[in-house]
Amino acid sequence: MTETRPLIRVDGITRTYGGVPVLAGISADIHPGVTAVVGPNGSGKSTLLRLLVGETSPIDGTVQYEGPNAPKRIGYLPQRASFRESFTARETLAFYARLLGKRPDGHLERVGLSDAADRSIGDLSGGMRRLLGIAQATIGDPPVLVLDEPTSGLDPTMRDRIFRLAEEYATAGTAVVVSTHDLDLVDRYADRVLCLRHGSVAASGSLSDLYAAHGVETATDLYRSIVHDSSIETDPSEEPTGSVHVTGVSDR
Amino acid sequence: MTASRSRVFGAVLRRELATVVRTPGYWLTVFGLLVVLGGVLAVGGGGETGFIPTIVDLLMPTEVVVPVVAVVLGYRALLADVEELAMIRTYPVSMATYVCGVFVARVAALVGSMVPFALIGGVVWLTASPDTTIYATHTGVDSPLLFVRFLVLVVLLGIPYLSMSMVAGVVASSRRGAIALAALLLVGGVLGGDLAVVGSLGGGAGSGSLPARVAIPPNGAFRGLVFEHVVGVALPPDSGFVSSRAAIGILIGWTVVGVGSAVCTLTVGGAVGDRLERLRVRIESVRDR
Repeated sequence: MTETRPLIRVDGITRTYGGVPVLAGISADIHPGVTAVVGPNGSGKSTLLRLLVGETSPIDGTVQYEGPNAPKRIGYLPQRASFRESFTARETLAFYARLLGKRPDGHLERVGLSDAADRSIGDLSGGMRRLLGIAQATIGDPPVLVLDEPTSGLDPTMRDRIFRLAEEYATAGTAVVVSTHDLDLVDRYADRVLCLRHGSVAASGSLSDLYAAHGVETATDLYRSIVHDSSIETDPSEEPTGSVHVTGVSDR
Repeated sequence: MTASRSRVFGAVLRRELATVVRTPGYWLTVFGLLVVLGGVLAVGGGGETGFIPTIVDLLMPTEVVVPVVAVVLGYRALLADVEELAMIRTYPVSMATYVCGVFVARVAALVGSMVPFALIGGVVWLTASPDTTIYATHTGVDSPLLFVRFLVLVVLLGIPYLSMSMVAGVVASSRRGAIALAALLLVGGVLGGDLAVVGSLGGGAGSGSLPARVAIPPNGAFRGLVFEHVVGVALPPDSGFVSSRAAIGILIGWTVVGVGSAVCTLTVGGAVGDRLERLRVRIESVRDR
């Protein structure tokens, strides 16, 4: 894989809530392509994504956007994104597009929602709402897309569709950061993996490098190797304390 | 206002107005208001009593129902969905523009919600007879214009409550929390101000400063203005219920405080929380050494 210039540099970030550490000393560079953020529930995936978006700030360390200047630098689909039920898909997207002085139609078409454009949000399936959320995130063609568990609770076809969309945007040069538990889709679509455990980076790098380093052939085996096995070896009371530099994702 | 700001303001305004129009609960609230006002009018002798007797009858219920309508319109206006705001923040949108768009749309909705008052005024206008009550001796001043003044003051009463309830929605982290804060705002605004004035009198405060103190809560300012510019018109030479400038200034002040607090909370609230968290971590690390 050709190494590209990172669009976001994450340097030694730590985040606590009520004094309890959620992320500790994480460093990573976000490059164009699909970066899958994986890890057990409560490992800090959503917090990391919120830090990337700027929705919250680190207690220590920095998150630096280094991509091209754009009116909207980062598109974001939160884990529990919802839209106003009484609006149609087109009206919903039109609102967000108007904030940038743009039109929504091309985005609806791109995510495959043209036929549902005039249906109200209340009549859309969960998968269609996620697609609408992705359309919202991509308005303004931001250089970075952050999608927080966009496939949770969806059927396999819709999951695949959402990851295919992520891949399409990544192919066009967008850095797509997506947190997920769907390891088979990570296998198929991710370029890089950032694996979190107890708020620290357990492993990171290009998928092929990680497979080679851990002697595995699938993301599921990789996950087991990194997270499951090390969690058995680790004292459950262990709190993240040290700074972990992300190798592979960063060339620093 | 720059082009991008006016575009954002317009987009937010349109969406908020559409949201209100499409929310059945708001229509139900307006219907409830109509029922309450109609009931008060009927109990008070109907529209034939004239405008000023009707206003006097409506005054007390108005001080309760208008704040309720305003709070219903405002308490979840800014945080209908926390994640929605997280998405909006990724756009080049200033929180001041966003809050102003939401606020102006909700004020327009509040004005629209006062249609039942206008309907009551219409009923009085159609049915009023000049010689039925004590106020009939002042029919020379009992005019529909006084009711229009009353309507304007009713809206002026609702706006500060709308503004403050928007802050309640921003500060609360959940719907239940927002409801609790909004209820507190209602009780505090409707009863708290008057109780504070009574308390200060009991504490030995002089009655000379009463007009100024009465006007500090929105309800007191509203009541004072109604007496001064609506009911008081029929009772010359009695006046000086409240300083009109001070009362209007206080209503505007509460409104500005509400909108300003909402903007500040949304703009720097997160950063303040982060700083406090940083401070907490530092204190704990020092303590652990």
